[in-house]
Amino acid sequence: MQKKNVISNNQIKNLLVTTIIGVGILSLPSNIAVVLDNDGWIAVLVSGLLIIPFILIIDKLFKMYPNKTIFEIGEEVLGKFIFKIFLIIIAIYATITLAYSIRVFGEVIKAYLLERTPIAVIIITMLLATSYASRAEIEILGRVATMVYPILLALFIFLFLINMPKSDYTDILPLFNADFTKLPRGIMVTIFSYAGYEIIMVAYPLTDNRKDTLKYTLRGLFIVIGIYLAAFFISLSQLGVNQLKRTLWPTIAIAKEVDLPGYFLENLDGIVIALWVLIVYTSVGPLFYIGGKTLSYIFNTKSHDVFILPLIPIIYLISMIPDNIISVYDEMGRILSYFLIASIMAVPAIIFFAALIKRRRRRT
Amino acid sequence: MKKLLVIILLFLLPFTTGCWDKVEIEQRVFVTEIGIDKNGKEEGINKMTVTYQYPNINNIGKDSGGGSSNFLITTESSSVFQAGRQFMTKVPFPFYYKHLKVVILGNEFLKEENLIRVVLDELNRDTKINKRVRILAADTTAKEIMEASFNKEQRTEGTIYATVRDNRNTSSYTTKSLADIVTDFDIAGVTLIPRISLDEKGSFVVSGGCILKNYHFLDWIDPVENKVINLINGDMVIETIDVIYEQNLISYAISETETRRDIKVDDKITADINVQVEGYLQGYTLSDKSSIENDEIIMNMEKAIESEMMKAARRTISHMKEVKADLIGIGEHISKYHPKEWDKIENDWDDIFSEVEINLNIDVKIRRIGLTR
Repeated sequence: MQKKNVISNNQIKNLLVTTIIGVGILSLPSNIAVVLDNDGWIAVLVSGLLIIPFILIIDKLFKMYPNKTIFEIGEEVLGKFIFKIFLIIIAIYATITLAYSIRVFGEVIKAYLLERTPIAVIIITMLLATSYASRAEIEILGRVATMVYPILLALFIFLFLINMPKSDYTDILPLFNADFTKLPRGIMVTIFSYAGYEIIMVAYPLTDNRKDTLKYTLRGLFIVIGIYLAAFFISLSQLGVNQLKRTLWPTIAIAKEVDLPGYFLENLDGIVIALWVLIVYTSVGPLFYIGGKTLSYIFNTKSHDVFILPLIPIIYLISMIPDNIISVYDEMGRILSYFLIASIMAVPAIIFFAALIKRRRRRT
Repeated sequence: MKKLLVIILLFLLPFTTGCWDKVEIEQRVFVTEIGIDKNGKEEGINKMTVTYQYPNINNIGKDSGGGSSNFLITTESSSVFQAGRQFMTKVPFPFYYKHLKVVILGNEFLKEENLIRVVLDELNRDTKINKRVRILAADTTAKEIMEASFNKEQRTEGTIYATVRDNRNTSSYTTKSLADIVTDFDIAGVTLIPRISLDEKGSFVVSGGCILKNYHFLDWIDPVENKVINLINGDMVIETIDVIYEQNLISYAISETETRRDIKVDDKITADINVQVEGYLQGYTLSDKSSIENDEIIMNMEKAIESEMMKAARRTISHMKEVKADLIGIGEHISKYHPKEWDKIENDWDDIFSEVEINLNIDVKIRRIGLTR
């Protein structure tokens, strides 16, 4: 292995947090409130906890095959042919997720900031900018994540602090009053917000300190859950449940509604979106990287960067298929959720159990 | 050769920047107030008369050219933003709504449920408008009020906004923003917005309130009732109450209030509302010896203030019950703390509210008496 391409545990944590938190944070509180009303936070929490077993699986897998990448392990365990089918699914998943994220990004920017700029220009500029980072190796992505991570934390802490004085916290009541048969549907909605955790599949074997990686990864996941829960509670207490359901992007809506005594803090949506662009950048970049990396293993090329630029027009075309923002969220989101579950949950689980069976067979 | 290339590339840099959305700040017209009235005509889709107020940009800063500080412009239109398009034939630059501060609804307009729904949705949906825009109800037409106020003071953001912006100094009216109103309608179906009217001299007065229920006008309330509602909701800000005590006038300034609601839902709904009021003595009467000799006098004063406040409160509550408007958050409280019962009564809440037994208890404390006794 190259000595250069090494990533520290802290960088893995930052990479995990910044990759997971992306376009989803804007609409998550509203999407989940539509399903579960005030109790949406339960689904946010449960689906976050659901990710933990998969992180443990990935950790176990890399313990069984030290110093190997996920691609090498997969090939060894499942055989070349089956694993390539899996990789194709992951590649499709990465492409559609990118298209989805970038389309939502374009819609938000167009709605709030650049009204007259064609959406094609917004999307292609963003894709070109991210492609620069994702052509590099994971080490670079880790560094970018470490730069953006404090900005991300500061942004959300700031957002929560300025909204605190005017929030009505009793809006969280009544607790546990929702129809819990809808919980699985709610989890389907929220699980999408945890897409991106699969970056650790690529980052894990490159760590410089194998012992603590699991600890840092779980810490990262809990930070994400914390931010999501806080985003849900603060937008619920600021908007009330009905207005929350109505709002497309409640996290920006609460930034816009800030009105503190003292004149100068008003209309903060511009600042919030400007910082959010960075967050999207660090979320789209790693996904782009995964897409490129998967393709490079499918076609047996030496490096992944040859696939990044050709992916841009494909992503752009897919992102332009839905007619409007509602169909992005509903139809594209539904198609995506199948690929999502297949590639971020089923694939690691299948590889893990196949590896277990193989190992047991070898022993007997 | 390489140097030349670098120089050429550097010179090319300015051409790579660009912005579709660039509009110079002096080429925007910042709308600060919008007034909406009902257009008397029955036919056609132009059901509203919309009035915009925007500042005279040339009149800002040191070298201002004088003249009026704000402009008013009116048209008949089908919606708030359609009016903005129609004004484009008279105004040189496009309107910019991000700094819209006040929306005034005219008295006839308030009675039209469909129009109010249209306007609220339009404002709520728009990406530029700040959802904290203050909404007021006019008891004449909105246009008249804006005409009376738009050149009162040299204020670019509008005199009305300066008056209602903070609302930390009076409880005679309750400032409501667009977001508050939408939330109120969601929860209780009823809201209270400040009333703005014209006095004899023709200047505007913000005082009292207007009850809107299910997106249309229900009733006016006076400043005293508004104070009581604020007191019960815990929104009371510094406010002075005058009471006659042994032929002398006591001025009691409220500095802090705390409300506790205890609602029991059985066959009958009983709401126990305990309000703790703390404050100080603003003024009494100067006599030869000290006018407050002992603790007992203060206690008696407290009682007198309590009974005065209770009198106003009883009047307000019976008024609310009469018009079936739950402005004191009893329904909201039940929906939060007794969700199962709320599901049963939610649909008939209007009728049930007028049957609710409300036991209000006001506990007044005079904590400070100023510098003399």
